[in-house]
Amino acid sequence: MLSPTNTEATRFGDLLFLEAQTGHDPATGVLPDGVEAQTHALVAKIDAILDRFGSTKADILMVTLVFADIRLFKAVDVIYAAWLPPREEVPLPACTAYAAALPGGALVQAEVIAAVASIPTHPEEPNR
Amino acid sequence: MSEKRKIATTAIPPGTGTYTPAIRAGGFVFLTAQTGRSPETGQLAEGLEGQTRAMLENIDRLLSASGCSRKDIVQVTLLLADIVDFKAVDQLYVEWLPDRGEAPYPTRTAFQAAALPAGARVMMDVVVLFPG
Repeated sequence: MLSPTNTEATRFGDLLFLEAQTGHDPATGVLPDGVEAQTHALVAKIDAILDRFGSTKADILMVTLVFADIRLFKAVDVIYAAWLPPREEVPLPACTAYAAALPGGALVQAEVIAAVASIPTHPEEPNR
Repeated sequence: MSEKRKIATTAIPPGTGTYTPAIRAGGFVFLTAQTGRSPETGQLAEGLEGQTRAMLENIDRLLSASGCSRKDIVQVTLLLADIVDFKAVDQLYVEWLPDRGEAPYPTRTAFQAAALPAGARVMMDVVVLFPG
């Protein structure tokens, strides 16, 4: 559920900056019970927003994961890892993860930066 | 088909999670947050100063692997396990940054998190503008 100060995402050039998401139901505002259910709801919301902006989870560049309790890291990571495309096919996003108090009683929150369209490739990437 | 490019490097601590250490897309490079873990042992350095220096060295290694340098940093998020440590970390951070005559200081967000992974006292993530 969006408050008047939220926007789903803003686009700048080929980059898409998503509003931080929690597991709250977008229609009812209800938060599912438990960290697993909240994480599944959260990634589904991210999928939907990316889709609306012509992006996909394969195009995610950077994710900031925030947990209400750092001990939830592992439970979230299992679902997060299974949700992302296989790392053999697409590089995993860069990631920052930490614990903080979250709005609306959420146990987990994710903020995403993704690519939208044709960003130039760099075949000569340094590799040291 | 994804246009993002993984920056491969063995110069930072071994990966323990679901992430790539650095991703380049277009003109930007996104670095996974670094703590003061040793690339060789994976262990956190001793003390706040030790962790901060080791963290900045890890970021240097990632910048170098990405073909970037400190002066290309545009945005920093600095996370602390205890906000009381801010001044000590900031002092090392400022010494580490290029002179502001050489490059403007990056924008920065700094705060105390409820907890950082693996008991780290300081953690930093960085967005870099690829030079040229």
